[in-house]
Amino acid sequence: MVSELLARFQALPESLAATPILAIGLTLGAFFAGNWLFSRIGRPIWLPPVVLSACLLSGFIALAVDYQDYQQGARWLTVLLGPATVALGIPLYQQMHHIRAMWRPIVVTLPIAATMAAVYAVVIGWALGATPEVLASLAPKSVTAPIAIGITEQLGGSVPLMMGGLLITGVVATLFVDLLARLLPVKDERILGFALGLNGHAIGTARAFEISHTAGAFASLGMGLTGVFTALILPLFFRL
Amino acid sequence: MPMLRGFLVLVLFFILGESVRLLLALPVSGGVLGMVVITFTLMLKGNVSDDLARASQGLISVLVLLIMPGVVGVFFTANQFSGQWLAVAAALLVGTFLSVLTTLLLMKAVTKRGVSDGE
Repeated sequence: MVSELLARFQALPESLAATPILAIGLTLGAFFAGNWLFSRIGRPIWLPPVVLSACLLSGFIALAVDYQDYQQGARWLTVLLGPATVALGIPLYQQMHHIRAMWRPIVVTLPIAATMAAVYAVVIGWALGATPEVLASLAPKSVTAPIAIGITEQLGGSVPLMMGGLLITGVVATLFVDLLARLLPVKDERILGFALGLNGHAIGTARAFEISHTAGAFASLGMGLTGVFTALILPLFFRL
Repeated sequence: MPMLRGFLVLVLFFILGESVRLLLALPVSGGVLGMVVITFTLMLKGNVSDDLARASQGLISVLVLLIMPGVVGVFFTANQFSGQWLAVAAALLVGTFLSVLTTLLLMKAVTKRGVSDGE
């Protein structure tokens, strides 16, 4: 009786891993634990909650389930990235009045800066001997995650490597904007917000909302426009 | 219920974007195409329904949750890219520094010219 129960207990992780619910539970648990930890350590800019959550989650996976099984189950979450990308169009539409107010700097800056964000990374990586797969993973580094996943898949890069690069880019873009704003100097909150969103996607945008609501609005705009522009341009470039 | 109605709109636009991508063999993801189409639709329409605004807000607030399975992959596939870490680190750090500098200088230059034009 006891030994039977024990055998069933041993088979438990495997049986649960056969359904997606274990992967979903682990991801949700790590998500909330990461957010809780983030507020406990005083919300540092250089360590966004997603990094904490991801570290916890990889620990859970290493302990409890097979990585391949996990990714299979997590499909139930990642499939929602499609509609979530579409959802980014709604705040973009709501920010449109800012474009009318400042259309000239935006129209001039956006195509050049968004292109250069990818070009700098690809050229530096290429010069230091990175493979095409790595370059394709670095190119969308300033684009918000749901859009960047789509771009990397289209270019034939590695999604995990791209995600790592994306997080680092978001964090250092935030630090560099703070630094260069003081050195240049730039005080216009609209410019700082736009630069944060354009270069540092969601992590930069979160920082911009700490500066002011205006900076946040311009960051959302910069992030959205960069995402769309890069997604439309980059695959055409890489085909050549 | 209202939130689900908004979710249905998002799913429909995603399916539309995905269909366009497959039909025209475009290299852009269906989500981005759906996003572009829904933005233009809203601009033509001139307002956004409460249902749609609420559904999109809900999905955007859990974006981090949705990208986590992709993020953890970096821990499990890292050794695939051994030997290229210097290139990756330099591209990320130096590249981001240069692109932030470019953005700030461009914006600053163009905004100033706009002001001196008497706007």
